Amino acid sequence: MKTKKIVSLVLGSMLAVSSLAACSTGNPGDTTATTGGDTPAVTDGGKQVVDFTMFAAMSGKEKAEGNDIMEIIAEKTGVRVKETWLTGQDAGEAIGSIIASGKLPDLIDGGDGSVTLYQNGLLVAWDPYLEKYPNLKELYSEEEWDKFRMDDGHIYWANVFGNSYNNTATPTGVNGEAFWIQNRVLEWGGYPKIETLDQYFDLLERYAAANPTLPDGTPVIPYTCLCEDWKYFCLENAPMFLDGYPNDGCVIVNIDAGMDNPKVVDYNTTDTAKMYFKKLNEEYAKGAIDPDFATQTYDEYIAKLSTGRVLGLCDQYWDFAYNIMGPFASPLTAEDGSTFRLDEIGCDYVPLGLTAKAGMAQQWNSYGDELNQSSGCAVTTSCKDPDLAFEFLSRLLDQDIHNLRFWGIEGEDYLVDENGLFYRTEEMRENWKSDSFKAKHTCEYSYCPQWQGMSRDGINRMMPGEQPSEFILSLAAPLQKTFEAYGVGTYTDFLGSAKVQTGPWYPLWSWSNNLSSDTAGGVAWKDMGEVKHYWLPTVVMSSDFEGDWANYMDAYNAVNPQAFLSEAQAEVDARLATAKSFGWTAPTN
Amino acid sequence: MENSILKSKRTKEVDINKPKLTAKEFKRQWILVVISAVYVIYGVIFYYLPLFGWIIAFQNFIYAKGIGGSKWVGLDKFKFLFKDKKFLMVIRNTFCMGALNLIFSTVMAIVFAILLNEVKNRFFKKSIQTISYLPHFLSWIIVVAIVHDALTSTGIINDLLMRFGILKQPYQYLGDPKLFWGIVVISNLWKETGWNAIIYLAAITSIDPCLYESASIDGAGRFQKMLYVTLPGLRPTIMILLLMNIGNVLNAGFELQYLLGNGLVQNVSRTIDIYVLDWAMDARNMDYSLGTAAGIFKTVVSMSFIVIANYIAKKRGDERLF
Repeated sequence: MKTKKIVSLVLGSMLAVSSLAACSTGNPGDTTATTGGDTPAVTDGGKQVVDFTMFAAMSGKEKAEGNDIMEIIAEKTGVRVKETWLTGQDAGEAIGSIIASGKLPDLIDGGDGSVTLYQNGLLVAWDPYLEKYPNLKELYSEEEWDKFRMDDGHIYWANVFGNSYNNTATPTGVNGEAFWIQNRVLEWGGYPKIETLDQYFDLLERYAAANPTLPDGTPVIPYTCLCEDWKYFCLENAPMFLDGYPNDGCVIVNIDAGMDNPKVVDYNTTDTAKMYFKKLNEEYAKGAIDPDFATQTYDEYIAKLSTGRVLGLCDQYWDFAYNIMGPFASPLTAEDGSTFRLDEIGCDYVPLGLTAKAGMAQQWNSYGDELNQSSGCAVTTSCKDPDLAFEFLSRLLDQDIHNLRFWGIEGEDYLVDENGLFYRTEEMRENWKSDSFKAKHTCEYSYCPQWQGMSRDGINRMMPGEQPSEFILSLAAPLQKTFEAYGVGTYTDFLGSAKVQTGPWYPLWSWSNNLSSDTAGGVAWKDMGEVKHYWLPTVVMSSDFEGDWANYMDAYNAVNPQAFLSEAQAEVDARLATAKSFGWTAPTN
Repeated sequence: MENSILKSKRTKEVDINKPKLTAKEFKRQWILVVISAVYVIYGVIFYYLPLFGWIIAFQNFIYAKGIGGSKWVGLDKFKFLFKDKKFLMVIRNTFCMGALNLIFSTVMAIVFAILLNEVKNRFFKKSIQTISYLPHFLSWIIVVAIVHDALTSTGIINDLLMRFGILKQPYQYLGDPKLFWGIVVISNLWKETGWNAIIYLAAITSIDPCLYESASIDGAGRFQKMLYVTLPGLRPTIMILLLMNIGNVLNAGFELQYLLGNGLVQNVSRTIDIYVLDWAMDARNMDYSLGTAAGIFKTVVSMSFIVIANYIAKKRGDERLF
């Protein structure tokens, strides 16, 4: 009896302990997984490599274990970084749950949640390390660094994009927003000049009527538009561009009264806005717009684009292009059994800078560097060796490692001609388009500090995509033909935005993206978003456009957009005043 | 039923089955005490200690300052909640979807269990049972992907309806606020009916076969046996499960509504849990206090549902929880 009792007691407590343990192992186990635990590992060379983790609040692709270039960089710098990305949730939610769980990675790009990370005291200040590592300090001028300073006077992150070495921007691509169109549509139409929405939709409709399916039998969709969560900018902010203004993102900043007298204007209620949504409404009724546009998720949207069936869309380049490169370069089987590739039949998208009226100047693309001080690469307080982390970030900017990140291994991923110019063979270029190749071979550390523009040797560009000789060769044949037909060499020229100096407040979305609900303007901004999420797709699908537009305007005005607009005006004025204190003067012309 | 009435009467007198708590009794049962103590401690640590965190609902809680350093604001957060039209809206959504789910899932599970019980072919019966409860093991994200896919303009539902000529153009089910609750209920039924039916099937097997035999002798047909033997036999199980599930009405769901929702249906799709996520966990708001206040509200309402339902069951002499 006694033994039986003891056995049952032991079993009982084992069960209890194991169920307790199952809960508690979550902690130490997970910490090592997410914070990396700075565990030193020995590489082949016998050098100690420290493992860091990095979370970027963006969608991205994870690198495979033992990635070739990651290992080379690890050997050179002594640091290996495991990057993780958003999975389904949005940036704000992801950062919110990371803070709540207290399990921070070593490095982080908090996106819209960056300010919250700072407010919760979870980031390490850059200031002492900027002096120690000149590579990092070199990233920005004093004035630019000042814009990164938080209210406690310290710098906690550096944005890594849109920053050209020696301020010599040499862009070839358009990373921002445009109405995109497949180049085969332009070719079919005889390369016409498309300037307005009417011309754009007319061409899309006519093409779709004449070519209703792809070679594999998939029916085409003339136009689709994402309107999920915050990515509904694809639907909502076109009126700003159509009126010829640059991407301030949340409002139009009108400078008719001179650049030192900017005035904030709401683009949601302009005549152009009504005209644009009325046009979409007509096109929806005609069946030219994807019937699922209002309910599709981002994944469904990308899946749709990847099949090549969508002829036109309005979006920012980074939001769709990188995800469809792989599928566009993969062989497919046509109905007649032959194989074809989407990029080879001209499905690649080119950007069109449409305007409300033909002949207007537009600023879909802004030249020069765009400083977004609202988020960037940061080191967290969970990092056990912040000095090493900053040293690593600094080493990433060394030319040899920068080349490894973006050009690859010399001889394997690129070749050097007698003048020192880097170039790639056809095979290398194809490799760098393949998702599986990139996962196991390339290591961009794409959310760590990096340069654009001319590299330190004065011959090559920091990024292969900006190397003029490489750029044109990296385009599929039909795209090259289209570029030739329009007599342009780059996407930037193709879009042909006016070369206008942007105001010192630009881009204002770096302010509105981080707007919290603590102020009346912040609450209004949140409410405006909710109203627009409901009403914009509703007016597009409405059978009574005028009636629903009036209802929309009533609902919109009911949430007090004026509170938001006055705060936007105050922010513009404040940014202008800061710029003036650094000696900025309004351009005379 | 008879039994439970007897029991409730007896508790008022001295219960001879219940031993007094004496040192001797304690010593005799020490091994049971130790085993149960482990679970009591577990419960205290993981279910009761976290309730301490409720006090942040009365503060303007800031993570960096902690509970000690944050400012006390009294009932401000609750006042904000009940003045917020959107909160009243999410209460309505949560309650309605929860109630619909409760009613339909209970009825469907019972009907399904009884019908399945009538199937005589053992192989057929087992296969149906297995197939029907398999969706329970799918995560919501997969179910939502299937539902989403089925309901798009080129999905199976539109496709079939158009082939049969019922619809001329594909219909946007996911964009219609009137259909959202229905889609939620049906998705829930598809996923959980088979699983929920298992417990009723088990309860049916414990019904005394003599009852069926005597019913047959009395001339009852198959349908009458279902109605007058099986259903009354299930009554205690139904009552207990109903009571337990009433406490879950406000847990109407999070994943399904969160993943299936979009701008067009936001006014009917958002539940209390989504509201909490939006206010407490989103880095742009980060108002843990408001989220906690909403959570407290939900808990208090759920508790009162259970207590009230239990009281009614007690009055009516049905099975009850406590």
